[in-house]
Amino acid sequence: MTENILEARDVRKSFGGVKALKGVSMSIRKGEIHCLAGENGCGKSTLIKIVSGFYEPDAGEITINGTTYDRITTAQAIREGVQVIYQDLSVFPNLTVMENLAINHQLMAGGTLVNWSGIRRTAEAAAALTGLSVDMTELVENLSLADKQLIAISRALLSNAKLIIMDEPTTALAKKEVSRLFGIIKRLQAAGISILFVSHKLDEVFEISERFTIFRSGENVVTGDTGGLDDRKFAYYMTGREFAEERFAAGAVPGEPVLETRALTLENGFYDVSLTLRKGEILGITGLLGSGRSELAKALVGYVPADSGQILLNGLPVRIASVVDAVRHGVACVPEDRLTEGLFLIQSILDNIAVSRWDALSNRFGVIRRREVEREAAAWIRSLSVATRDPLLPVQTLSGGNQQKVVLARWLANDLKALILNGPTVGVDIGAKYDIHRIIRGLAGRGLAVLVISDDLPEVMSLCNRVLVMRSGRLAGELAVKDSTTEELAELSMRE
Amino acid sequence: MRKLLASFVATVLLAAAVALSAGAGEKKYKIAVVPKDSTNAWFVHMEKGVRKYANDTGHNAFQKGPAKTDAAQQVQVIQDLISQDIDALCVVPVDPAALEPVLAEAMEKKIVVICHEGSPVENCDYDLEAFNNADYGAFIMDNLAKAMGEKGVYTTMVAHVTNASHNEWADGAVARAKAAYPNLTLLAAEPRVESEDNSERSYEKAKELFKKYPELKGIVGTSSKDAPGVARAIEELGLKDKVFVSGTGMPNESRRFVKDGTLSYITLWDSSLAGAAMCALAVDVLNGVKIVDGLDLGVEGYHKLMFAPGSDKVLLGSGWIVIDAKTIDDYDF
Amino acid sequence: MPGPGNLEEPMRFKRHLRRSEPYIFAALLLLCLAVELRSGQFFTGNNIVDLARSLTVPAIFCIGEMLVLISGGVDVSFPAIASLSMYVVSRYLDDYQGTVALNLFVGAVLGLVMGGLNGFLVARFRFPAMLVTLGTTSVFSGILFGALGAREYPVPPPMYDLGKAKLFSAHNPVSGLSSDMPVSILLLALLLAATWFLLNRTLTGRGIYAIGGDPVAAERAGFNLFRIQMFIYCFSGALAGLTGVIRGSMMLNCHPTNLNGMEMTCIAACVLGGASITGGKGTLFGVMLGITLMTVMANSLILIGVPTYWQRVFTGAIILVGTGVSAYQALRGRRKPGAVARRAGHA
Repeated sequence: MTENILEARDVRKSFGGVKALKGVSMSIRKGEIHCLAGENGCGKSTLIKIVSGFYEPDAGEITINGTTYDRITTAQAIREGVQVIYQDLSVFPNLTVMENLAINHQLMAGGTLVNWSGIRRTAEAAAALTGLSVDMTELVENLSLADKQLIAISRALLSNAKLIIMDEPTTALAKKEVSRLFGIIKRLQAAGISILFVSHKLDEVFEISERFTIFRSGENVVTGDTGGLDDRKFAYYMTGREFAEERFAAGAVPGEPVLETRALTLENGFYDVSLTLRKGEILGITGLLGSGRSELAKALVGYVPADSGQILLNGLPVRIASVVDAVRHGVACVPEDRLTEGLFLIQSILDNIAVSRWDALSNRFGVIRRREVEREAAAWIRSLSVATRDPLLPVQTLSGGNQQKVVLARWLANDLKALILNGPTVGVDIGAKYDIHRIIRGLAGRGLAVLVISDDLPEVMSLCNRVLVMRSGRLAGELAVKDSTTEELAELSMRE
Repeated sequence: MRKLLASFVATVLLAAAVALSAGAGEKKYKIAVVPKDSTNAWFVHMEKGVRKYANDTGHNAFQKGPAKTDAAQQVQVIQDLISQDIDALCVVPVDPAALEPVLAEAMEKKIVVICHEGSPVENCDYDLEAFNNADYGAFIMDNLAKAMGEKGVYTTMVAHVTNASHNEWADGAVARAKAAYPNLTLLAAEPRVESEDNSERSYEKAKELFKKYPELKGIVGTSSKDAPGVARAIEELGLKDKVFVSGTGMPNESRRFVKDGTLSYITLWDSSLAGAAMCALAVDVLNGVKIVDGLDLGVEGYHKLMFAPGSDKVLLGSGWIVIDAKTIDDYDF
Repeated sequence: MPGPGNLEEPMRFKRHLRRSEPYIFAALLLLCLAVELRSGQFFTGNNIVDLARSLTVPAIFCIGEMLVLISGGVDVSFPAIASLSMYVVSRYLDDYQGTVALNLFVGAVLGLVMGGLNGFLVARFRFPAMLVTLGTTSVFSGILFGALGAREYPVPPPMYDLGKAKLFSAHNPVSGLSSDMPVSILLLALLLAATWFLLNRTLTGRGIYAIGGDPVAAERAGFNLFRIQMFIYCFSGALAGLTGVIRGSMMLNCHPTNLNGMEMTCIAACVLGGASITGGKGTLFGVMLGITLMTVMANSLILIGVPTYWQRVFTGAIILVGTGVSAYQALRGRRKPGAVARRAGHA
């Protein structure tokens, strides 16, 4: 019994009439890395907030370090050594590294005055715990996300953490940063600290954790050793749906070229890129961060035009110097960071779908034909199965996957020749990911030329029929998906 | 039944017609006076005159203005008044150009529009000035020249270079100096300085002027904030009896400086009389009185109005006064 | 690009270049030199004293405004608070003959109460500070001009004496001009020192920065958001009330409309000095540079010889360029490659 640092038994919680937790139980052993997975809205966050004392459960009990609580306060949770690293990290961008590290500690200590030498000592001690090595006087806003995360972890360790809960800590990290994070997690484990790692990415669950628990719709579906888990099962537990492993086969006869580039070059981006995208195929481009893949995508849609080289559409050279040019020529891009580049978050779903079509949807006086907009948006919401009650709600009320669908819908509403997708399923949960893949395959099947840029190798392998690998700004090779493996692709993109 | 109703209507109509014709001779009008700034002592004093006029004549004359000197706010006030079914509108414009559209609107609604200190305004029936602006400027200059011993370098200060009256006074002062005082010279580098109608600014600007131009010996103030602000600067810089200021000023604000001689003379016209005179002119226009040279409004200083030369709109009174250390205690506003 | 040798040094140097203080300082220096070249009057004792005098009132306002800006809010009500305090203290204490400390104290308390209203609306109901303070501006002006019927009024004797009191007189033997250093500047110095201590040495001060940086994170860290916001607005209100009394004293006369429009000058000065409109940033040093630049500019246009007709254009241009540089610096900081959270995805 004392083997468990945390036990939750039959915990229930409702908000209004909605049951967020319908009696979940789970336990975390001392010194283990436990993975908690589940789709958005499955109750993961609610449980975290109950364990850390922000919510009071309706029923059930929680045992931490052998002490059982009907409800636990934030102060008690902290005293028991429960620390949460939120997705937003809760760091202060405008303060120095030093202060970010030590501020909680100072507040806990009480008093009215700030002890700056104490802060520096505390901060240095905290940094030493995780091996954080940045200038203590740098402002946190100038750090990479990975370093910000380390600050949040270091800060948590200072409070004598025994259980650290990390809420989707890898969402915004590059691969290298993820492996650094995992190294640190392993070290924490070695120091006897338990980790509850919230994620819905299977490979991470495999790599880092010994045991896992999966929630679905407020219930714990399964708890087990990670060893017995595979792709299919994981997806099934998460969604309750069976997904068939698919690979995309382009039409038997490759279509005529739609989009071609000749020696396309952008200084400090990519060099001498010549490629051909054909009708009805899905061409993948992959490569590490900084390989030039994102820059290429931006150049193809005129967001950051190339310096030299040619772009041909249907065999004719065209000039794409701006996004407007690209759209006029029928080339559209679903951007990498849809939140900042692609969506008007506070505007309605409807307006976001219609935004690139105002021209077509307005009469000759420039007045928008509202009813037509509504009809068209409703049709897209249906055909892409965007999960929403009301198309007039702001886009930010949607989950990541559904936001991505809205971005897709917007461009699909135009008559397209080519569609360029940059990281189409970043930050999207597994069910939505399959939906998005299905939509993309359907588009290619209807004859659209699709270019997918992604560093998610399994995604590229299952989605595309042909993959180009970029390395240091140049095309480094090409693989036909049907006679290659993910390992070969990984090897090609990593090779020095 | 129908007959009864018809005779009832007829009676009512008849009664109304009788009432109207009977009232025509002594009809009471609703007259709104809009100052630049209702909190300014000058315009607070004007309101006294408007109230007195209302009491004496029985017309519904009242004053309503913006809480600060702001052209946009003044437009707003006037817009509100237009919708309140007034017969006449008397305005002291903050910025004549900014007011033209709303005044045009008022005239379209057959509201009589009288301006004061707004000679460039086109959309008004008449503009009533306490005096010829050039003559008043000359009057200020006479006082300043007396203090300066009729020699030296001087400059002029206005609230804003867009302010119509202030600039006409300043121009009048400059013209007078040219014509009558050969030993007075206008500061060529800074012939006109803005004080923003704020005595802290006139104080600061005066200090700058005296620093940059040691030869400067006199300042013509136009805004009522200019002279006391400049006087404060003169006192602090230790320039009393070396440099002089004369200009429009309110007795209460200037009292201390006038008494100790830092401020040579303040000149002004009585704003309460101007307020009453505007109302009186508006009533004459409403009653169809013919407006000609020599018109008597029955208000002191406005007994013999004259059209400004070449104008059929701008009427001039002769209502200026000068106050010095001896006479200042006769005034309490 | 970085040359050989110590990498630390150029990095630190670059970090300083990302702040706005060096640019404002350079601009101020250039302006001073320009004035000196054109008039030969800038670096004279009496001119410096004149500037210090003109600086006093707006500088105290800026202290309060900066605190509010750092916390992520904005306060446009301080001229109204100051005017109301100034008027009430002048009008209803007009027979009072004792020490001016009482006038200042009453002014500060009135300001504190009014600031408290701002604070309560912002902290309790989470209304946007801009709307709250715009609203309270109307309320306070309404009371001032409507209920109290405010107009110009002479200040009571203790305030008059404070206005005339001088620390010393700076006499310029060449021009024969002398300027008095007002005693009120001591109050500015005192407030600067106290605010510096508050911001840098107390947990409340760090809390002000913290809630400006990220209010949610601040709450999670254990800062009491309500208490800190109440404190900020009460403090800034008290400063405004106090400043109203000082302004009345310095002008020897209470002009209830005299401070209108000062909020824009002060916000511009704060932004020029590096305080962020979106919160979290601002230093006393920077903001004092900002307001000094604004004050020097307003009081040197004649000395430089900018024609009256061009003065407003000149002032506007300097503010545009200055705030533009600040905004550009901030933008560049955010665009820096390492600073952008790359959505690099996952395998």
